[in-house]
Formats: sequence, structure tokens, C-alpha cells
Amino acid sequence: MAANVSIDPDLCIGAGECVRVAPLAFQIDEDLGVSVPLDPADELDQATLEQIAANCPTGAIQVLIAGVDGRTGGVR
Amino acid sequence: MTEGLLQQYSATIVFDTYEAIRQALHDPNLSRSFDKRSYAEGNIRDGVVSISHGSMQRARRRVENTQFRAERLQLYERELFPKVLDELLDILIDSEQVDVFPVGELLSVVLAARRAGLDADDRSLEQLRRLVHYVDVFSQGAAILDAKDPDAVRALVYETYDEFERRFVRPAWERRARLIEAERDGDPDAEPVPHDILTVLLRHREDPALELLDDGRVVREVATYLQGGTHTSAQTLTNALDLIFAEGDRAEAIIERLASDRAFAQRTVHETLRLRPTTPKMKRRAEADTEVAGVAIPKDALVILDGGRANRDPSRFGQEADRFDPDRVLDPSVPRWGLSFGAGPHQCPGRSVAAGFPAPAHGTDADDSHLFGLIALMLQAVARRGVRPDPDRQPERDTRTERDTRWAHYPVRFERWAPVSAGSPSR
Repeated sequence: MAANVSIDPDLCIGAGECVRVAPLAFQIDEDLGVSVPLDPADELDQATLEQIAANCPTGAIQVLIAGVDGRTGGVR
Repeated sequence: MTEGLLQQYSATIVFDTYEAIRQALHDPNLSRSFDKRSYAEGNIRDGVVSISHGSMQRARRRVENTQFRAERLQLYERELFPKVLDELLDILIDSEQVDVFPVGELLSVVLAARRAGLDADDRSLEQLRRLVHYVDVFSQGAAILDAKDPDAVRALVYETYDEFERRFVRPAWERRARLIEAERDGDPDAEPVPHDILTVLLRHREDPALELLDDGRVVREVATYLQGGTHTSAQTLTNALDLIFAEGDRAEAIIERLASDRAFAQRTVHETLRLRPTTPKMKRRAEADTEVAGVAIPKDALVILDGGRANRDPSRFGQEADRFDPDRVLDPSVPRWGLSFGAGPHQCPGRSVAAGFPAPAHGTDADDSHLFGLIALMLQAVARRGVRPDPDRQPERDTRTERDTRWAHYPVRFERWAPVSAGSPSR
């Protein structure tokens, strides 16, 4: 089940928690100091994506699955 | 000075369960600058990232987090620290009886100073001891709301900032400014610009989002990283030994296991952090009406997050959550250190330096990229020297604070200690 993963660059602080859990799916843009999702992020299983979103310190990671708002990274 | 403190809140709300505190730490309406009036003019921590809120805090963390990338931490843990650790321990453990708390401070301050951006001489114990003195003062300042004499602490912190700036920050600042300029000019013979907090602050200082044009803010920010990088590590090393010694007849076997098993040393550090958080109670102020775990929180409420109790929440850490058990089995989604590094936007940036990456489960090998954290390396190093309780001298807690997880002195004995060798650092 493919997901749509995005990161809000205004909220992200580049802590890199997502990169540590899924180094092939996220990377840090060092010019901006924020994480960006790569193509493999959309293919991660739902449990991993939920964990990554929940662990994001600022709730910057948004996961959309099958049209359902799966944002679990905290209240904005 | 205390008349400016906000003494009255619209409500005081306490959370002490793991999930509620975790939610609260992620709530953007709960600010760490919980008392804006006390953090206004003259505040000892004015403008530092750890008490800031909102877009400025995020902008600051973006540039500062660059110093905590995995490749930089690997350099610290695998190259720089092991060398410093052995050299310094050979000097500091110079007899059978040693106070281990200042040993932990001196070990920790070397890399904390380097990461903060201070050009201290690693081989000068006089300089390192001075830096540890600053850390001690800044730690009192960081815990000022739990201080028994806050006005005295405030005065001492101001005086110490002056010396800290004059002796360490200004020379490091001027050197980095020259190097950054040479780099911008494309000077091929220029010395490389160091990678540290002071450097990134200077590189990005003109960015208005960082709000760093005031020199004092730069000094306080560097001080924050020096203090944060030293204090928790030294206290946790000491707390780990205290918990191990409390195991009585089992202590010696635990120490022998620590000496040979770094993954166990890491789990021991995590278990220590869980049971003995450096900041047992975190405080937040509601910037706006909000709700956490079904509890309505009005604007201007004081929110107390009892992380010490949440770290013993049986729903997350089992029915024997009070027991010291580095091998305890946990759900992988629950950090072994509990909430001791905070969570959310103020999550400790140095967590992976101190405690490494989340420990692999007992019986599982760590992969090549794994980091064990500097405290585990310190703990293993003292275990290898045969650390034992000192039956003749009692440990002393830091009585200047209400926080009961802080030590002032912790005498131990070493079964294996090395005499000072030629060419060692000056005393």
C-alpha cells in the first residue's frame, strides 16, 4: 500500500530521527537543515511510517495513506 | 530580581504518566519559556535555544543540529573520545581511592568544549577544571527555579559568564571569524574552519530568524552546549555506579560484565537515565488554551511533567519498573531511557552523543553504524579499572538543588589503577 509522505520544512528542525530509522527513505538537505523524503519513503510499511511520524520531534512529517490523513507526528 | 517572576498561574496541572507527558512535550502550545516575565531582561538564560519557542527555536536548532549528524558522532565516539578517555583516566585515577564524580566531569568536558567551539587545551587539567567550574555554575543557573538561593545563583552566573567569555569564548570567536573570512576569500593556505556550535552560529549570525545579533546570546548559547554536554554525562556515570553498587553481592559481576560487553554498558546507561533523570520534573507554560490526554489546559497554566514518575510507568516499563534491570525487555517503540532526554522540539540535541543510538535488544548484535554513546564508554572504562565502592567514605549529594539525582562527590576505589606515565598531561 503506497503512502504519500511529506515534511513541512517550516516545522522540521533537522533532528534526523527519520534518517536514523530509514536512511534510504529520508535524507537531510544540509543547505536548508531539514529532512526531505526520498522516493522509497512512500513504500515503507504503515507501522514504520507511523513510528517515524510519531518520533518526529516537531510533528513535521505528514503521512497520507489511501486518502486518509495519517498525520501522527503531533498536533500542529 | 525575583520580583519579576511570574508567581501566579491560571492553573497548575501535573502529568505523571508516560503517554500524557509524551503528548505534552509534543504540544506546540506548551512552551519551555514557561514564565516569560522571568525570562525577560536580565535573565541568565535569555535567548538560549533551550528555553526559546516557535520559529526562532526551530531555526536555531536547524543550524545547531548539523553538529550532531551520525558521521560527526562517529568521529567523536570512535576516534577522539577513546584517546582522551585513556589519557585522562591514566592521570585522574592516580591512586586506589578516587572521587569519581569530578573524573566524569573532566572526561565529559573535553568533548563538550570541543563541540561547543572552545579551543581548550585537552592536556591542561587547569583549563579543564576551570571549564568544569563554569559547567557547575551554569548547571545551577539552569536549575535556578529549584535553587535554594536563586539570587545568589543569579549573581554567580553573571560573574561566571564574564570570565567564560573573556577567557574562552572571545579567543575562539576571533579565531573562527578569521578562518571563516579566509575561507570566504578562497585562501588556499587557510586552516580548515572547525565544526562546532560557535562556528555555525557565526556562519549564520546574519540570518534574522536566529536572533543572534546580540553578542551575549552567542556566549550564552555556547555556554548552554558546554553545560549540557558535560553535566548529564557526569551525573549519569555517577548514578550508574550508585545503582550498581546498590545491587550488593551482584555488583561485582555487573562490573565485570560491563568491562567486556559494551552493549550491556549502553543498556546500563539507558536504565540509569530512566531511573535517575537529570531533570526529574520538566515544566511548561501554556501559551494558549490546549488539551493534553483529555485534560483541558488554560492559557498561562503551569504544567509540571513528572518524568521521574513516568519513567516508572508500569504500562510502559513493566510491573517491576522500579527495579534496576538493564536487560529488561521493552516494546521497541519505548525508549529505554524513558523521557529523560525530553521529546518534541526541545528534545536534547546531544542525546545520541551521550547515550548513542537506541540499544539493540538483549542478545542482538549492533550493526556497524551503531553508536553506544560516550557515557557507556566512560562506564566501561572505569569498570575495566575495577571500580568498587569505597567503604570508608560516603558519597555526597549536591545539596544546592532540590533535584535528588545530582551528586557532588562520589568516592570509589579502583582495583586496577595506573601510575602516571611520562609525557602525560600536566596536572
